Amino acid sequence: MIKEKISSQEIIDLVASKASVSKRAAEEFLKVMIASIEEALMAGEVVKIKNFGTFKLLWNEPRKSVNVQTGEEIKINGYYKVGFVPDAVLKEQVNEPFAHLEPVELDGEIKKNELIDEADLVSDPLRLFNEQASEIKNLISEIQALSANSNVIAEEEKKIQKTEVENEIINEIPQNTQELIDGSNEEDLDLVDIEEPVKTEPSHSPLKSSFENTIDDKEQPLEKTTDNEEQTIENTDSKLLSELPSTPYLANIHSTKKKKVWLWVLIIIAIVSGLGVGSYIFYPPAKEFSAQTFANCQYSIAKVTENISISDMINSVSKWFTPAPKPVSKAVTIVIPKDTNELDSINQTLPVDSLQVLFETPRVYTDFIASERITPGNRLTIISKRYYGSKDFWVYIFEANKERISNPDNIAVGTLIRIPKLDKRLIDTANPRCLEKAKELHDIYIR
Amino acid sequence: MPIPDIILNLNCFTIHEKIAYESMNNKELIASMALKMNAPKSVVAVLLETTVATCTELLIDAKTIGFQSFGNFEVRKKDERLSVHPSTQVRTLIPPKLVVNFKQSNILKDKLKDLPHHD
Repeated sequence: MIKEKISSQEIIDLVASKASVSKRAAEEFLKVMIASIEEALMAGEVVKIKNFGTFKLLWNEPRKSVNVQTGEEIKINGYYKVGFVPDAVLKEQVNEPFAHLEPVELDGEIKKNELIDEADLVSDPLRLFNEQASEIKNLISEIQALSANSNVIAEEEKKIQKTEVENEIINEIPQNTQELIDGSNEEDLDLVDIEEPVKTEPSHSPLKSSFENTIDDKEQPLEKTTDNEEQTIENTDSKLLSELPSTPYLANIHSTKKKKVWLWVLIIIAIVSGLGVGSYIFYPPAKEFSAQTFANCQYSIAKVTENISISDMINSVSKWFTPAPKPVSKAVTIVIPKDTNELDSINQTLPVDSLQVLFETPRVYTDFIASERITPGNRLTIISKRYYGSKDFWVYIFEANKERISNPDNIAVGTLIRIPKLDKRLIDTANPRCLEKAKELHDIYIR
Repeated sequence: MPIPDIILNLNCFTIHEKIAYESMNNKELIASMALKMNAPKSVVAVLLETTVATCTELLIDAKTIGFQSFGNFEVRKKDERLSVHPSTQVRTLIPPKLVVNFKQSNILKDKLKDLPHHD
């Protein structure tokens, strides 16, 4: 930086020409100005000049020093000196070349990266969840296409919804389900077997276990641990299809004990479907979830029927017979809050996801507000600050002009860049997520 | 009611004196200059504004301004530095910046030397 010293004479000339006054007048003015300031300072005053700064006397305390040559101690008397604090306006104007720089927290940056990683980890299971949901949806459509009684399923679903209030209808539903089982018993079971590896989402297992618990409690022959049940399912899956006798099976369902079980099952189904319907009505994006719960219901119906049939077969096998009943009410209450929690978490994450979707959709730049020619000292950050209100959004200008800019840190002077029109949600300076996203992009383009 | 009036006046007077003693703002500077120059305040105000603008421009161009008998204004570059927050231990990289620095001239220094310390 070459420092050129301007004397007071030059200042006088400049002021004279600018204010269109004679040089003598300007000279007199400057002299008076300095004299006035000095005078005021001498009187112990603080002198403030608008847009320039403040002059103030600062007291330097007396101190002892040592003569370097002789080693003699000398006392330096206390004295005043004139201190100058530049005004904010002057400060800003002088610091213009470095105005785009900002303090960087070095440790903080690492923490931020960690946070981003965590966010990714959180969103990963969600993505898996969605993928599973779509897979299950496909399977349901296959089932409906395969089974001849697809209409019956729909009817049943409708009626289950009604049972939320009317308990009388409960008696009808077993008949419907009988029809369902009657017609598509084998097919359903077959498909359930295929579904099993796919179904890994969390809402499934608590539901299943709750059903099993209710069965455990209400039905004597079914009193056994869930582990054993699953084992039996695995062991006898292949046998089931061939060995299932249809008539005794129906007879079993007609028995009063079974009816009680069905009552419990239906209440739970009603609650779950009620939740699903509620979420469907109050929150349209929960479509997928309700579809899932519907799938769960179907699956659990199939599962229960399966369990009953297995229980018939296993009645004779006494070694699996273990008395370990849990209180039904507890099991049920555990399941329901879990479901609602899940709904809540989905509801909470979805609005955030809409912004995430906005972030992740590839940006296409078609509309442009203006165009700028790069001049020496001009930077994308400065342009961004001017057009979008924050220098962090320079990344979008860079994206829109990628073919013209090879290195965002060093753009050739004279390059014409276009300023894209951006979605207001993307450049919301009040939203920390927008800034975070911009910083993320910044890291991508700079490193 | 003469007594309250006197009290009020006295109060006003003392408050005004106190403020005037502590600081001299732009207006007061212009007023004192106008008195010395025998010129209207508006002219002085315009001249002061022009001077400030000129000085600012010169400083932006990184030039040093020397007022004889008063001092030098110059722009200094403060290099980037690493600061550590004493309690949180967060290290922050402070970017470089340009600041205006004023150094009094020896003439002014000598004038101030004889000023007795009062505090």
